[in-house]
Amino acid sequence: MRIGPPETIPKVTATVGDVRAAVPRARRPWGAIGLFLGPALFFYFAFIIYPVLVTFYNSVHTLRMDLGMTYEFVGFQHFNEILSADDVFWRAARNSMTWAVVAPIVDIPLALVLAFILHGKVPFARFFRTVWFTPLLMSYPVVGVIWLWVYNYDWGMANLVLRAVGLGEYAQAWLASPTTALPALILVTTWMFAGFNMVVMLAAIHAIPMEYLEAARVDGAGPWHRLFHIVVPLLRPTMVNLAILDFIGKMKQFALVWVMTRGGPMWGTETVATYVIKRAFEWKTLDLGYPSAIAVLWFVIIFGLSVGLTRFLQRREALEF
Amino acid sequence: MRAKATKALLMVPVLLYTAFSAGPYLWTAMMSLRTTDEIYKNHYGLPVPPHFWKFVTAWTEFGYATYFKNSAIVTVTAVAIITVVGAMAGYGFARRRFAFPWREPLFLMLFLSIMFPPQIMILSLFQILIKYGLFNTLAGLIVVYVATELPVTIYLLRAFFAQIPQELEEAARIDGCTDWSMFWRVMFPIARPAVATTMILNFIYFWNEFLYAVVFITKQEIRTLPLAIQFLVSDQYFDIGMLATGLMIATLPVLVMYLFLSEWFVKGMTAGAVKG
Repeated sequence: MRIGPPETIPKVTATVGDVRAAVPRARRPWGAIGLFLGPALFFYFAFIIYPVLVTFYNSVHTLRMDLGMTYEFVGFQHFNEILSADDVFWRAARNSMTWAVVAPIVDIPLALVLAFILHGKVPFARFFRTVWFTPLLMSYPVVGVIWLWVYNYDWGMANLVLRAVGLGEYAQAWLASPTTALPALILVTTWMFAGFNMVVMLAAIHAIPMEYLEAARVDGAGPWHRLFHIVVPLLRPTMVNLAILDFIGKMKQFALVWVMTRGGPMWGTETVATYVIKRAFEWKTLDLGYPSAIAVLWFVIIFGLSVGLTRFLQRREALEF
Repeated sequence: MRAKATKALLMVPVLLYTAFSAGPYLWTAMMSLRTTDEIYKNHYGLPVPPHFWKFVTAWTEFGYATYFKNSAIVTVTAVAIITVVGAMAGYGFARRRFAFPWREPLFLMLFLSIMFPPQIMILSLFQILIKYGLFNTLAGLIVVYVATELPVTIYLLRAFFAQIPQELEEAARIDGCTDWSMFWRVMFPIARPAVATTMILNFIYFWNEFLYAVVFITKQEIRTLPLAIQFLVSDQYFDIGMLATGLMIATLPVLVMYLFLSEWFVKGMTAGAVKG
């Protein structure tokens, strides 16, 4: 199994190199290998692999911060409790899953339509592309504050627009109700990511041979026909990749929630990521073992789903355009 | 004639989406130049006259100078380290000459860790940083940032270094290049476009990073901008005008650079999308 990038050129050079390098095989330049890979592998093992292993280890212990980090082995007790008795975890898992499933369903088609329109020789296409991409360059706290204002009941933009188009009776405090808060946050991530998805798809559309679209036009296919019968099938791999990325990204969502709602109201926007941090540092349980167990559980689910989805949908490389 | 009508019709969704996309930020930009009193009288008024002094006040009286400095230190240092370390490793993983038995499985592992959710490391990193006196220091944050972005950086640079023809390497070797001078004098300069891409990607990621900063920084004087904003939201909840100014200070460096280098930014961000 090889998940590396499928460049075509290096494969050729690699075989050429193979033949030549095969002769002095005995003398490996270990000094140079250590010099080039050493620093990176130090960072990688000390601050990624080792912490991951420690988290696994912690997940079967209680680890009391107030007692000088004393360990007590508890086996799978945390996992048992999470799965059988922790309502907040299940609520958080449901919210994260909802976010991860709904976001791609909204983002990807929206981005596809936008990309197709821009492809249709709209004037100032470059300008629009630049503007739509901008939200991705802001940090979550910045985006969070701006959208707290947008959702303000009295003077926020959301209610302003609703009142302006005569839908004033739908104006409400969007983040104050458990039913509207999560959709409101999902819309914010759409605002951030639709432009990005659009840019990637636009590049993919540009890569479609013009003859295909021209031929279809000559045969009398309208724009919608061309979109659904030519562009969509050819863009399927790109869209699948983007959907998976969107899915995984939303499964990890933390920052926007932390800034805008803190998981409220009534756990309505709690995600697994925010719950882990809360259990570790905000609840007075002072135990790092239990949140570690949640993290392990969620890690296994995310990792399993991403590897599974990737292989299932035959995604050989992350993004190709 | 019909084509023209279609084109005009296409502009409707384009303009609507542009209003949605740019509206909230432009609104914030206008508020950043108005006083809170003016804003409470009319939230959508134009910034006439514009109060540019608010940027000075935010900078000097509300601590943005400190937060900006912290963010700059962390971002610049982390980008410098990760660029050097990542490029060397990308080169080491890419070239035939440095092959050794466990190299490809090692790289696969590195690649897979791009998908690791931060939660799987963050609590034990907290312990580790405390143990080594790096908790609540910018140095600790820098180390964590470098480590977490290394996999994607190495992945992108390895792909580039793998494309450089073998002949070039051999020619340089005949000219007497050692591995070290070959890398810095020949390979690294060739890889500049790819290096620039990862630098931009990492720059934006570090400048905006929030989760690790929340957990590893608790002292006010070393808060980075994203962290500071989170606290200022609750501290000056009603001082919307000053908060808007702060948001501008936090975003303008990136957005101004984006204005001049938009193609590079788009390239960098989309290349980094492997991360998810």
